[in-house]
Amino acid sequence: MSIEEYPRVESAGVLVWRRLRSSRAAMAGLVVLALLVVVAVAAPLLSAIEGQDPTTYHDGLLNSALGGVPTGSLGGIDSTHWLGVEPGTGRDLFARLVYGAQISLLVAVGSTFVQVVVGMAAGLAAGLGNRLADQVIGNLSDIVLALPSLVFAIALMAVVPSSFPRPLLLMLVIGLLGWGGTARVVRAQTLTLKELDYVAAARLGGSGTWRIARRELLPPLAAPVITYAALLLPSNVVSEAGLSFLGVGVKPPTSSWGQMLSSATTWFQSDPMYVLLPAALLFVTTLSFTVVGDAVRTALDPRAASRLRVGVERPRRGKRRQKSQTSQASQTSQTGEAAA
Amino acid sequence: MSRSHIPGGLRAVSSVALVSAILVTVAACGPKATGSSADATAHQGGTLTVLDENPQTDFDPARLYTTGGGDVPGLVFRTLTTRAHVSGAAGTKVVPDLATDTGEPSDNATVWTYHLKPGLKFEDGTPIAAADIKYGIERSFAPELSGGPSYLRDWLVGGASYQGPYQNKQGLASIATPDAATIVFHLTKPEGDFPYLATMTQFSPVPQAKDTGANYYKHPISSGPYEVTENQNNGTTMAFKRNPYWSAATDSQRKAYPDVIDYDSGLDPAVINQRLSTSSGSDAAAVTTDTNLGPSELAQIAGNKGLASRVGTGHFGETYYIAFNPKVKPFDNPKVREAISYAINRTAVVDAAGGSALATAATTFLPNQAAFGYTPYDWFPAGASGNAAQAKQLLAQAGYPNGITVTLTHDASDGSYTGPAIATAVQAGLKSAGITVKLNPVQDSDYSSLVNSVNTEPGMYLASWGADWPSGGPFLAPVFDGRQIVTDGANFNNAQLNDPAVNAEIDRINAITDHAQAAQAWGALDKKLGQDAYTVPLLHPVYERLYGTDIRNVVINDWDGRLDVSDVAVK
Repeated sequence: MSIEEYPRVESAGVLVWRRLRSSRAAMAGLVVLALLVVVAVAAPLLSAIEGQDPTTYHDGLLNSALGGVPTGSLGGIDSTHWLGVEPGTGRDLFARLVYGAQISLLVAVGSTFVQVVVGMAAGLAAGLGNRLADQVIGNLSDIVLALPSLVFAIALMAVVPSSFPRPLLLMLVIGLLGWGGTARVVRAQTLTLKELDYVAAARLGGSGTWRIARRELLPPLAAPVITYAALLLPSNVVSEAGLSFLGVGVKPPTSSWGQMLSSATTWFQSDPMYVLLPAALLFVTTLSFTVVGDAVRTALDPRAASRLRVGVERPRRGKRRQKSQTSQASQTSQTGEAAA
Repeated sequence: MSRSHIPGGLRAVSSVALVSAILVTVAACGPKATGSSADATAHQGGTLTVLDENPQTDFDPARLYTTGGGDVPGLVFRTLTTRAHVSGAAGTKVVPDLATDTGEPSDNATVWTYHLKPGLKFEDGTPIAAADIKYGIERSFAPELSGGPSYLRDWLVGGASYQGPYQNKQGLASIATPDAATIVFHLTKPEGDFPYLATMTQFSPVPQAKDTGANYYKHPISSGPYEVTENQNNGTTMAFKRNPYWSAATDSQRKAYPDVIDYDSGLDPAVINQRLSTSSGSDAAAVTTDTNLGPSELAQIAGNKGLASRVGTGHFGETYYIAFNPKVKPFDNPKVREAISYAINRTAVVDAAGGSALATAATTFLPNQAAFGYTPYDWFPAGASGNAAQAKQLLAQAGYPNGITVTLTHDASDGSYTGPAIATAVQAGLKSAGITVKLNPVQDSDYSSLVNSVNTEPGMYLASWGADWPSGGPFLAPVFDGRQIVTDGANFNNAQLNDPAVNAEIDRINAITDHAQAAQAWGALDKKLGQDAYTVPLLHPVYERLYGTDIRNVVINDWDGRLDVSDVAVK
């Protein structure tokens, strides 16, 4: 099969988007994520609409004699405090949650970016460099993978002076402890790709290593790396929450979901809403990231994608036939995407 | 005074004493109801279980730093004097223990004489002599047995250079034992509080023949109602059984109802409270000496009468406060310190500390107990939630009409009331007065050395001061006596105040042997010092402790605020 046989020639991006749209779960996840991003960006606006801010104490709303539990029902939910107030301080939970979304998403995206950039650089260097470089980088990424990252992250967060901006520190710590996987994937792909004819052709044409990496290797590497990054995102959301939960994340009075969950744990019986809200948000966010990540992986996977296309075009064909079509189609689409 | 030992010591008071003390009273009913119901059903025998967070580390009378002899240590170590084992304010009184009275002072209170009761015996049946008490005190000077308070070193003649009985075999001449039942102490200066010091475990007898040095903590020779039968992991798990040679005839304070006491520590506070709440199996006869109910647990207990009747309330003399270092700008300006005092929102601070059940708002530096000489004052009335208008006016006068930005240093750990919860409450409160507070969290392990060093002391930080005994002396002197400024060690005089008039007044009151008279003078001094706003008192903590369903005869004194293990009975 050749490219001309397809009814339309589409760019890789449009193709992937079309495939993603066909998955309802992925679309639902994307909508939720988009909503969360909007909430995070518009946090100051949203809390202004509510008429609250995340740091003002409301002691009048607490029962001081009972450990500072909110006096209102369901953790003090009413028209002025949409999701109630925090026990012990009376700070508005809605405002704290929407501001917390900023930290959670920012740190998750930022640390994933660090992981991908460092991982790609290391993977490419290992794949294209000499044996020594490959060995050194290989061992380094093995070490990073083998490190008990949580313990290490706690130690790192604790030694850095408190004047260093915490969200940035969280990104760096999570990012620099999590690039090992990306590096391995990129190295493996690079080793395969660099033996292909078109790369050899580029080299014969006089391209240097840097130009080959940039022009010939990066485009085909995009698919596996994006897939990997999409699955790193939810785990980074959890890492941030975990570090904040353990008290080494953002500094008070900044709120983050993990930190809120941490202070809420003892209240699960006397003020369940306080626990449920950050827990539910964390759950929904991680689930959405995972579902979308999974869908992106499927959409970028040439075999799965072509199976999909073949299935659509020839729905009634036998299975054996389909398989042979699949392998052919996969080759085509791989080279096709590479060319694109 | 070598205050370098006090800091660690005070820490030890709050941890060791918290650990070792057990005090719970029936909160709702108060001490009287507790006493009567308890005495009626007090039952000899049974096994008492103690569930604690922190272990009885270094269970050696020379090394323990207790207030009033501690609670678990008090089971084994009797001392010359001890705290009265009664509930409430009466429990802040010092009473005789091994001695016949609380001590006979010389005219200027520099010589103190004690006589031992007849018939006192160690756990092996040998009689307790004055020389054993002298030896026990001398041991606490040995460098290898560190950990105790520094008062003995500061007060006893020759104490500053004495290195303990292992190095200086001839002993400390300022402790004389003219006969087997008499012991005399010679002090460098008048100390009316000496009877309070004599409650500490350093004043318990140690038989020289049985001294095993650094290993003595494993099995110290008991003079009290119980002896150690097991000590694992340096005081983490311990067991005590009755000491057959202890006699109630010589000990009017300890009731010692149970036959066996099992001590288990290293537990999580939530686990301790959950076990006490459930009270299943041996936990029904369990108490805790160091674990407060948390705020969320208080909210639950309120709806449960069965649980609420098993909560004991106690008060330990302790103050949490904002400390200023006037050597750091802008805190050199009294108007800035006063503005912060006016702006403070104590309701938010108390709620952050767990609400009104666990903390009382403080406007005085001295704890709110008569024994300390509590004299109410509020020089900078902030009301319940801060007086922003007055604060702004003072700031304008000080040259900050558009507000001011200050840094508050606090402990990064939320384990105590010097942590982020209180710091953010202070921050939120001062905001309305135009005072922007930047928070500077410092790791728990570095915090005390940072704030207690004159070289690194921040301008504004969260601090606490606990009492070694219920008197104004150990409360005010280390913080306001100019001669106690330490330049090369732990310094607690945060303002580095060295006012000859204040120093002279401290000396004058220290010489008073009548406690009520001294208390009044301490209160007056506290009130006077409060005018300078070197501190912003925030809160006095309250202890709320749960105990098991089979616990009877609950006694909680206001000396250490904890349920006394040597007095409880199990059903």
